[in-house]
Amino acid sequence: MKIRAIALNTFKEAIRDRILYLLLFFAAVCIIFSRLLALLTVGDRVKIIKDVGLSSLSIFGALMAILIGTGLVYKEIDKKTIYTIISKPIHRYQFLLGKFFGLVLTLFIMLLLMSFIFLALVFFHTFKIEWEMLIAILFIFVELCLITSVALLFSCFSTPILSSIFSLAFYLIGHTAWGLETLIKKVKPGFGKTLAQVLYHFLPDLENFNFKTEIVHHLSIPSEVFLFSILYGIFYTLFILALAILVFRKRDFI
Amino acid sequence: MKDIKKLNREKGFSTLFLIFLLILTCGIFMSLKIKIDNIFRKKIPGSSIIYIPSGKYLKFASFGNSSLLADLVYLWAIQYYSDYSIADRFKYLDHIFSIINELDPRYLDPYEVGAVIAAYEAGDLDLTLKILDKGLEKNPEQWIFPYLAGHYVQMIKKDYKLARAYYEKTMNIEGAPPHTRHLYADAAFKSMDYQTALQTWLEIYKTAEEERIKKIASNHIYQVKAAVDIQRIKGAIEKFKERYSRNPMDLSQLVRTGFLDSLPKDLDGKEYLYDSRTGEVKPPSIPWKR
Amino acid sequence: MATVLKIENLHKSFSLGFIPKKKKILNGISLSVEKGEIFGYLGPNGAGKTTTIKCILGLIFPEKGKIELFGHPYLSLKAKEKTGFLPENPYFYDHLTASEFLYFYSQLFLINKKEREEKIESLLRLVDLELSADLQLRKFSRGMLQRIGLAQALLNNPSLVLLDEPLGGLDPLGRKEIRDVIVRLKEEGKTIFLSSHILQDIEMICDRVAIIVNGKIINQGALQDLVSEKILFTEVILSGVEDKELEGLGEYLSGQAGRTLLKVFKEENVEKVLELVHSRKGKIHSLIPRTETLEDLFVGIVKQR
Repeated sequence: MKIRAIALNTFKEAIRDRILYLLLFFAAVCIIFSRLLALLTVGDRVKIIKDVGLSSLSIFGALMAILIGTGLVYKEIDKKTIYTIISKPIHRYQFLLGKFFGLVLTLFIMLLLMSFIFLALVFFHTFKIEWEMLIAILFIFVELCLITSVALLFSCFSTPILSSIFSLAFYLIGHTAWGLETLIKKVKPGFGKTLAQVLYHFLPDLENFNFKTEIVHHLSIPSEVFLFSILYGIFYTLFILALAILVFRKRDFI
Repeated sequence: MKDIKKLNREKGFSTLFLIFLLILTCGIFMSLKIKIDNIFRKKIPGSSIIYIPSGKYLKFASFGNSSLLADLVYLWAIQYYSDYSIADRFKYLDHIFSIINELDPRYLDPYEVGAVIAAYEAGDLDLTLKILDKGLEKNPEQWIFPYLAGHYVQMIKKDYKLARAYYEKTMNIEGAPPHTRHLYADAAFKSMDYQTALQTWLEIYKTAEEERIKKIASNHIYQVKAAVDIQRIKGAIEKFKERYSRNPMDLSQLVRTGFLDSLPKDLDGKEYLYDSRTGEVKPPSIPWKR
Repeated sequence: MATVLKIENLHKSFSLGFIPKKKKILNGISLSVEKGEIFGYLGPNGAGKTTTIKCILGLIFPEKGKIELFGHPYLSLKAKEKTGFLPENPYFYDHLTASEFLYFYSQLFLINKKEREEKIESLLRLVDLELSADLQLRKFSRGMLQRIGLAQALLNNPSLVLLDEPLGGLDPLGRKEIRDVIVRLKEEGKTIFLSSHILQDIEMICDRVAIIVNGKIINQGALQDLVSEKILFTEVILSGVEDKELEGLGEYLSGQAGRTLLKVFKEENVEKVLELVHSRKGKIHSLIPRTETLEDLFVGIVKQR
């Protein structure tokens, strides 16, 4: 299929990007460094390793998604490699989706590598492979897919630097939007409150994918939450991709 | 000709389809969010905190934004301590508030609120005094800290000598209310009754120049009134039980059957909360959060 | 004769700059290309040649106008299946090797796997890059890039090939090779649309041309119709006759190593010069009649604007 061709090509190109390996290196450093941090604490040492590890995966994964994603479409237009592709019998949306899946595949591989280092370190401490960590990592992956789609959206019309800033803003808003809820409670009912409520539900809630604390403390999570969170991720990603396709369709490639 | 029209129509369709898809997915994820929020609210109370770094480490980690970090931790602490479903939440009360104080020693609210939580909710008077002492140490111009300390000591511990010492400290700070002298004198003889407490706090409320002090006074007035009202209501419930061998269904029943003249309401005009199974009466708001 | 490409009244402007200022690039372009011909699209830099081609391919969306490819509306996939495109100064994914590159593009067409391998091989042979099949594109020279670009444009065996400045930046040998390929493609029955501002190449291979200046088509038609066959002057290189005697017969251009270059305008004067040389026992080294070239026509038109 045509989307697959573009995806594989994007994957091959992205996997060569040196930024990936730089970030991978830093992630590995963080994870291993947590071993040292653990020595400073009193009590449960593994918790620090798990916390630092999962947070590293999340943060560095997001950085990878943003740094590469924001260049995906922009580079093609800037370097004019896009001319010979769009002039072929291919729909513009197929091109965009191909780029998306190519980067998602890349992130999947990177996440796999980081997870391996992480689980190995945890294994050295607890002498068992904590498969539950993979659940938290799965959700980190879902979050990364959403962030990728956002980076791709911005890449369609904005330079890499601006796109990175916007995508980063999306990430930060996504993790702090829950604060809006407590704020809304204090507002008097009225138009402002309704508007704020609508805004609150529209803003991305990346905390929905954040099960790090629960997994680390072996708390049980109702299975519906899993299902709904994944669905939330899927539909929000679809939303962003549809937006990206709309923007990309009418773009002139000067 | 036909082909061009067809192409244009197709183009129009696909745009419409995309817009439809946008609205659909938007609607779906927004409703999913509502669903997830509901589940989260029911389940998962705060997970217990096993590892908390000390304030010193946090100060390093904040890269110069230590007062911001103090604000954030304080904001979090307020939410945390408002959640009564967390059973062991007082375990790290000392630690958490000392982190906030260490990060920003001049942030006054946490001292006061920490002290209230420690005194009335955790029932740990030593911690209360510890917090207020540190507050005074870092902010020697704040007469309110030793004043509150004396207040708590007198009402809860009933250690008049200690209360006296605190009132003495208070007197010597500029700006302390004049009636502190009387309290200093009275502490020698008796425990503080609710009347005196109410009077002294009212006076502070009226004469205070700072908004903050006014707020503290208002919260304490609330607390005293609530204590007095609840005492009355509980007395009426006891008499009701003696007569009918069971708890009343609701508080207005006490009025109908004549055990209470009128149903007292809290300082904000709201009704007190009553549990007919246990006979417990509680104020509707958390005093330090008003 | 089937019309392969038809453009009617094409308009396009761009808004450039922070405070958008509208600049009109195409101002009512109309042209048509017939099957099996090599069509030359010429104009000075910035006239709108590349913009026209991008409009045809759907890379840019025109404000007004109609474009038809093979009778289909131009943006349909069916039309694109039969088109090939080589952009100016092409940039490609340079981490791919030549065969990987062609393989990638072939996946964007409906070509099945078996045919793919054969196609790639034969194309590499056509553009003379067989030996570089496993070389990464980043190591290709300019000429090689042009050739692999041409290969990519021919992957789907297109009926119409659009070439944007295909001969730019090539050395004379490279230009000859590309010209030969283009002529061969015409012999296979393909239609070629090429844009250029190098007139000698256009003159050599094109059947019909259109000249675009400042977004408007100034002239369009068969090459031989546009350029008259009238002889403008004759250039004669001779020796053995003294300059004084040649005066009045023509314009004296240069004299080197005993040879005189003379530009003779009138036909009868050419006869006189020949007689003179013969009588003085001199020598005619060359005699070249110069007709109006495309360059003359072009310069004349542009100067008028």
